Amino acid sequence: MARVVIDPVTRIEGHLRVEVEVDNGVVKDAWVSGGLYRGMESVLLGRAPSDAFYVAQRICGVCPISHGHASTMGSEAAMGIKIPNNARIIRNIIEGAEALHSHILWFYTLTALDYVDVVSALSANIADTYALAEAAGTSTADFGAIQKRLKGFVEGGQLSIFTNGYWGHPAMKLPPELNLIAVAHYLEALEMQAEAAAIIAVMGGKFPHFMTSLPGGTVWIPTEEKLDDIYFRWQKVRNWIANAMIPDTIAIAKQYLDATTYGKGCGNYLAWGVYDTEGGDPTKRIMPRGALVGGLTPSDPKPEAIKEYIDHAWYTSGDALNPAKGETVGKFDAYSTDAKYSWVKAPRLDDKPMEVGPLSRMLVAYVAKVPGVVSLIDSTLAALGVPGKPEVLLSLLGRVGARNLEAMFVADEMGKWIGELIAAVKGGDSKYFVDQTGEGEGAGLWEAPRGALGHWVGVKGGKISSYQVVTPSTWNMSPRDKNGVRGPLEEALVGCPVADAAKPLEALRIVHSFDP
Amino acid sequence: MAQEARADFNEKLAARGVSRRDFLKYCGSVAALLGMSEMYAPQIAAAVEKGALQPALWMAHGLCTGCTESMAQVDSPDVPTVVLDLLSVNYWETVMAAAGTQAEDNIKATVAKGGYVVIVEGSVMTGDGGNVLRIGGRPGIDELKEVAANAAAVIAVGSCAVDGGWVAGKWGGDTANMVGATGVTKFFADNGIKAPVINLPTCPVNPEWVVAMLVDVLLMGQLADGSILKKLDDKGRPKLIFGSTIHDNCPRRGHFENGEFVVFGSADHAAQEAAGWCLYKMGCKGPQTQTNCPLVRWNRRASWCVEGGSPCIGCGNVDPAAGGAGNWFDASAPFLSRLADVRLPSVGGVQPATIGAVVGGVAAVGLVAHGLGSAAKGRIKGVPTEDQKVFDAKKKGGDK
Repeated sequence: MARVVIDPVTRIEGHLRVEVEVDNGVVKDAWVSGGLYRGMESVLLGRAPSDAFYVAQRICGVCPISHGHASTMGSEAAMGIKIPNNARIIRNIIEGAEALHSHILWFYTLTALDYVDVVSALSANIADTYALAEAAGTSTADFGAIQKRLKGFVEGGQLSIFTNGYWGHPAMKLPPELNLIAVAHYLEALEMQAEAAAIIAVMGGKFPHFMTSLPGGTVWIPTEEKLDDIYFRWQKVRNWIANAMIPDTIAIAKQYLDATTYGKGCGNYLAWGVYDTEGGDPTKRIMPRGALVGGLTPSDPKPEAIKEYIDHAWYTSGDALNPAKGETVGKFDAYSTDAKYSWVKAPRLDDKPMEVGPLSRMLVAYVAKVPGVVSLIDSTLAALGVPGKPEVLLSLLGRVGARNLEAMFVADEMGKWIGELIAAVKGGDSKYFVDQTGEGEGAGLWEAPRGALGHWVGVKGGKISSYQVVTPSTWNMSPRDKNGVRGPLEEALVGCPVADAAKPLEALRIVHSFDP
Repeated sequence: MAQEARADFNEKLAARGVSRRDFLKYCGSVAALLGMSEMYAPQIAAAVEKGALQPALWMAHGLCTGCTESMAQVDSPDVPTVVLDLLSVNYWETVMAAAGTQAEDNIKATVAKGGYVVIVEGSVMTGDGGNVLRIGGRPGIDELKEVAANAAAVIAVGSCAVDGGWVAGKWGGDTANMVGATGVTKFFADNGIKAPVINLPTCPVNPEWVVAMLVDVLLMGQLADGSILKKLDDKGRPKLIFGSTIHDNCPRRGHFENGEFVVFGSADHAAQEAAGWCLYKMGCKGPQTQTNCPLVRWNRRASWCVEGGSPCIGCGNVDPAAGGAGNWFDASAPFLSRLADVRLPSVGGVQPATIGAVVGGVAAVGLVAHGLGSAAKGRIKGVPTEDQKVFDAKKKGGDK
């Protein structure tokens, strides 16, 4: 047995440490440690609900929109506010733009370097690269120029962000030509994530950290010029996802089909649902709400059934509380995988660890027979030679693929929402904001691109009286609970092959598949 | 520059698929960013042409990764140019290929060689013995001390790195903030670290400023000769970027002068906003926030906060010397109210007595102090107190 440590885990948001016990090239046990405690919930106490909207986003610079919306929805629920229909559509479009931004950035910038050998791209034959791109149905680029630029860069001897990567690792399986295509799209992806972010900037002032979805509705008012702007940016991103990201996903997946045999994890999936339909009923969202526990039979998750445990986290009070009554009081003592080892609490639903994220959402939507999701999943399974076997999705490869397929689904839905907004504005609906206050407690249960997100908010006398957040990474990166049951990522790491303990690339792939 | 050296550099550019014309164009855009005439482009080019890539370490501390995200949005130059052709960013957790041991080796190798610049993102987390942020099995501040000790310069990006940011905000109830968030300036002062610090506030940082500083500081030799320090204000911020307020350059300024204000939540709000009226009455912190956001804008110039319809929330209001005590959240919130207790810009010679004399309309006093719409000139009569509702007296159209 050898203890292998990855610290810092890179290409994520924030600070994470992973320890795995490796025996005969296979992970036998795992511990995941969140490294940072900032105290957002405590900072928000006593502030105005609108201040909470602006600042709660700073929990995550990659998914600030989702945190902003969950905060605002929590305050609105507490104050009994129902937002105008225009605000609902506008929030959906901003949320969708963030999902596209985040998924593109995740696949190409954050996780691709686990599968794509940048150095191998130098030996690609250019003519063969064009032939391969055509056969794979993915978009071409000036592959010769890109290879030349890469060559000049490598020969310069300063590898910058590529220094010390896992180049030439035995688990890297793509042919040089596919590596070159992926490098070309790695560069294009930087453009596309920025284009998606620019939609948010137009509708929210800037990204990251937007300005407009205040409790009560939105202060962004569409004009013809602005609608035009977001429409064309959306179209460009949508077409690139369809013509590059999806065919790339299929082509790369075909080379890594062994990744359907491990990385499953706890096998329980939770989604609060996202993208509201008219009326704002949280049980009727476009990406539906649901839980799948130990199989593909859906149930309705009850927020009251959540408890957060601190047996293995550096907190001193508030054990086994529901977030509506939760406490967050941190105190470091020592790092020990036998005792306390993380700043992340261990949330459980009905005392079970739950995986959250695109795989959970897509599975819940597939089981609920959401048409666009069913056709995307079925056609992808067929393309990979496993038609009619959705159970292969419960794996590392399934988790990677589900995220990219969701990007396609959301991109197509967004086109409809922009049309819906244009129709509403043309129809003379000029209501965007409800000026109302109130008191009480509520929850904003929503989805960030990386999974189910909840902000539990109490409002009293115009000020925040209680605030608790359970982020997607709290669910996925959680340590063990009171019963010693591993968190979802810990469980997914068990059974993972590790060819070279000094370079645990396969374990890193599993960590990145959760998009921490 | 000698002819041979230039020819060699041109070959390097060509090898990377960049024409000399493109390169000079890029230098021109950098010059424009710095507020310099494009005449300076050849000088910037000469500086860049010096050869080896500048090594840099981008350190992640008490962060949300929003500043890295923000950097990913820059296009002048774009990210590949920055990380492949301008700098050798040997450590940048969010985007680097290496992880774990291999990643930490990159830090060690760079520090051993020296001559590198450090970029810090996120608050410096000193609470609980520094254990509120653990990196590589130890407090994050231990790592920061090591990389900072030998750095040629440190750029603090984003308000968190400048003075702790919102992370240093007051905790509600009876609890004291225990995470000990502070900024690079204060942390260095407390620990005897001498590396020069350039502060680039706002939350997140505007990436155009980072690029401008990297070129200005690193490539034009202004660090070596010390001239960069003369371009910084008393808060360590580049004067070119932070020398005027948002209000000074706001495209909605004309509506302010006309007394045309968006009234938050009113029946006319949407119409007023569609017409681009002034957000001062919604609590806009533009009059006391010193950045050039209205000029540089955000996300490849797509928009900026006020154009989106929100008042400025003052995310660039920092006080580096005070560490966490000066954070922008406490200084600017509640965001949708005009405040009695706010920090005024240091420009314009505002006297503390003046501030103390007026309660309620302090932001308006800031305007007076600025000589903008000065009461003395009779443009805004009797501005100083909120009770007088002087803007209402000047109202036009729908300002109720």
